[in-house]
Amino acid sequence: MDEPLLSVDKLNVSFATYGRSRQVLRDVSFEVAAGERVALIGETGSGKSVTAKAIIGTLPNNAAISSGTIRFAGQDILALSKPDREALKGTAFSLIMQDPLSSFNPVFKIGTHLDDVMRFADKRNGISSSKAERRTRIAAVLRRVQLADGERVMDAYPSELSGGMRQRVLIGLALLHQPKLLIADEPGTALDVTTQDEILNLINTLVSQENMALLMITHNLGVVRKVADRVVVMHHGDIVETGACADILSNPKAAYTQALLEAVPPLYGPRVITLPQSDRAPIVTIRGLNKIYGKRPGFHAIRDVDLTLREGEIFGLAGESGSGKTSVARIIMELSRATSGTVAIDAPAPGRGRRLTQIVYQNPGTSLNPKRTVKQTLSLPLTSIGMGSDAREARMTELLDLVRLPQSYLAKYPHELSGGQKQRVAIARALAAEPKILILDEPTAALDVSVQKTVIELLVQLRQDLGLTYLMISHDLSLMRNFCSRIAVMLRGEIVEEGATPEVFADPKHPYTRALIAAIPVVTDAEEQLKPVVTEEERTRFLVKTTA
Amino acid sequence: MQQHPLVAILTRLGMFVLVMIALSIMIFILARVVPGDPARMALGPAANQEQVEALRQQMGLDRPLPVQYLDYAGKALSGDLGMSLVSQRPVTTDLAQTVPATVELVLVSVIFMFAVAIPLGVVTAHYRNRTFDYVGRFLSLTGVTIPSFLFAITMQLVAARYLTDWPIIGRLDHGLAWQGGPTGFLLVDGTLAGRFDVVLNALKHLALPAFALSMAGIGQITRITRSSMLENQRKDHVLTLKSFGVPERVIIFRYLLKLSSIAPLTIMGLEFASLIGNAFVIEMIFAWGGFASYGLTSILQKDLNAVTAVVLVAGLFFIIANLIVDVVISIIDPRLRRKEER
Repeated sequence: MDEPLLSVDKLNVSFATYGRSRQVLRDVSFEVAAGERVALIGETGSGKSVTAKAIIGTLPNNAAISSGTIRFAGQDILALSKPDREALKGTAFSLIMQDPLSSFNPVFKIGTHLDDVMRFADKRNGISSSKAERRTRIAAVLRRVQLADGERVMDAYPSELSGGMRQRVLIGLALLHQPKLLIADEPGTALDVTTQDEILNLINTLVSQENMALLMITHNLGVVRKVADRVVVMHHGDIVETGACADILSNPKAAYTQALLEAVPPLYGPRVITLPQSDRAPIVTIRGLNKIYGKRPGFHAIRDVDLTLREGEIFGLAGESGSGKTSVARIIMELSRATSGTVAIDAPAPGRGRRLTQIVYQNPGTSLNPKRTVKQTLSLPLTSIGMGSDAREARMTELLDLVRLPQSYLAKYPHELSGGQKQRVAIARALAAEPKILILDEPTAALDVSVQKTVIELLVQLRQDLGLTYLMISHDLSLMRNFCSRIAVMLRGEIVEEGATPEVFADPKHPYTRALIAAIPVVTDAEEQLKPVVTEEERTRFLVKTTA
Repeated sequence: MQQHPLVAILTRLGMFVLVMIALSIMIFILARVVPGDPARMALGPAANQEQVEALRQQMGLDRPLPVQYLDYAGKALSGDLGMSLVSQRPVTTDLAQTVPATVELVLVSVIFMFAVAIPLGVVTAHYRNRTFDYVGRFLSLTGVTIPSFLFAITMQLVAARYLTDWPIIGRLDHGLAWQGGPTGFLLVDGTLAGRFDVVLNALKHLALPAFALSMAGIGQITRITRSSMLENQRKDHVLTLKSFGVPERVIIFRYLLKLSSIAPLTIMGLEFASLIGNAFVIEMIFAWGGFASYGLTSILQKDLNAVTAVVLVAGLFFIIANLIVDVVISIIDPRLRRKEER
């Protein structure tokens, strides 16, 4: 039997919206052999998730497969009857979902989800099973994903588990019935880097132990290197390139793949950009900052933080979720009050309605009001500083030029713009009233890598032209390596390491910093070898526990 | 931070007492500032000025308002809500006679509401933008927009013309030998006494007014259930279960229904206020003899003690209904049971 486990042949899929048909997959063909690990890589709108849905059989109602075949173990699954098709779900192949929180119904226990999936799969396979017996089997599967206390996990509601634990349960869900093919849709993307790293390791271990095939859907080239033998690159519904993982990453043929690789910020090596240190006077001085949320005993979000931002520098505040980095930003912005400590901004007082600090949020899709045009969005800060209508028009023209958007975009609504364009509008809005300091709260986390690159270039240019100071908040250390001149690492409300970016990356002192850097998925083997070493003991001391 | 359940309940009860005190003060003042002299209304136009003055003094209406209120509140705490000027009996006796009739009517309406609205909401959501959905949406919109007294009168007319045997007023046929029971709820008392003829007869009497009373709520809850189901259908967890082959009916009736019942339940708590308001109208139309009709007569007669008591009881109903809704929702949704850490 030389037949591949999964073969997709000339698959065409189109979506009908409001009577119009739009083709989202064009002649997509690829194969996954038994036990092989294949990565399907592409940016937003590339069709990678649609391909996965077509295989599993969960395409939305307005999608139609116009031609092509999907064969699984020699069987044309598109020709199967509905019950036969259903029978494959979870048993022949199964899916690991992306977002571990939204993938569980919040008002049902974890165990209920697992039990129902197992119960109906059993039923289809003609196995009769009792609830108690299924519980034992589920606990055994949960042990395989390193959740030893299966009873506790099953009795917990989704909101009672950490993100990493929920992701493990999702993997467990996929393993309930010994599938031959595991389809993973961006697993761990919604989690912290260190947790994502553990999840990828777990998937790798399971795939090799159980001799399963893996179809990994991702936008992250670093992830690809870690988990794939072969790579399929997709772009706007077409496959642009296929090849062995090492070949694609080191020697891409297609121009699109080359551009994609080019856009990934490197961690080490000659492509790394090092920013000069600023030797100007401090502009923001933070001393003894503490923030406690709630009362008795409360949640201590920031502990004795001291920070100094020099004028003109790009200061990076790194940390994972819950580390307190956003709380620091909110206090600087005066959106929230410190429990104790001071924030001093050393700059001449701005005019009426003006502020020294402004913020650009992570997700431009939610930070822009969908019911307001770009013009309305931009005119709000201008009106509040008392600008007349002619001056406003002139300033808006200027702002759009600054963020390199055409003037005609003033009349557009956010839904007419792409993610990168929306973020440019958000940046223009932040700059409108001429602040001195810009706080960037994960400004590119919601964007594709190629778009991230252009937004970052724009930000660098703006800082030079307008003499701004940036405080960048992020968990993406490889981006920070290339964008920040100095960096501080936060862990559980404290700053554990601070220094010039090149020095911190060359010789990280704190084990947590080493763990963070080590967890970043990198594109080349050379970079992998340069990563700092973290011992198992340090790992357990500083990282969030995701096992139970 | 975990809040102890007992603390949560005690906080709730404290709030509850505060609301009742505020409500009593408000209604006490309101009842006394509206024009019309209660003593004059009670004695009628034939009485002379001295007689009216005497009754005013006897009722304590000549004393300052705060004193009157404190006097009233003190007595109310010991279970004395004063005498009704109209019926010449203690208000508590009147309430004991009329409240069960209203509670029975309202509870049956609530059951109607859920029995009709939740399935209708689920089905219209499932057949979204198909004929069934359009019909269901039209009907629920009709329920919301048309006032309940119009339904009541129309149904009464139709029943009187075409279902001549069907009772259209009162709670029970006079021909039935029935002395009443311990609770005042006909359905409960009838069952306890084994008199199923009474239960059946009471149900027949209940059908029209309960249906008329529930129309508005049915419309509202159908709409909320439908939109809640549609919203939750798009969630990732539905896709998770689908991709593992869990049948659609299980996803809808088990997973989606429970999640989507939170919104309609919340609305139900609020809807309770208009339910009590509408009961005043419906009880008049169907000559129900419940506490709403009692309230209406006492308002028209400026029977001060009775008005104050009726408003307090209505407020009590509303608060209790919302307490129940809160408890039910916190049972459904585990996220509300534990306070988030931040």
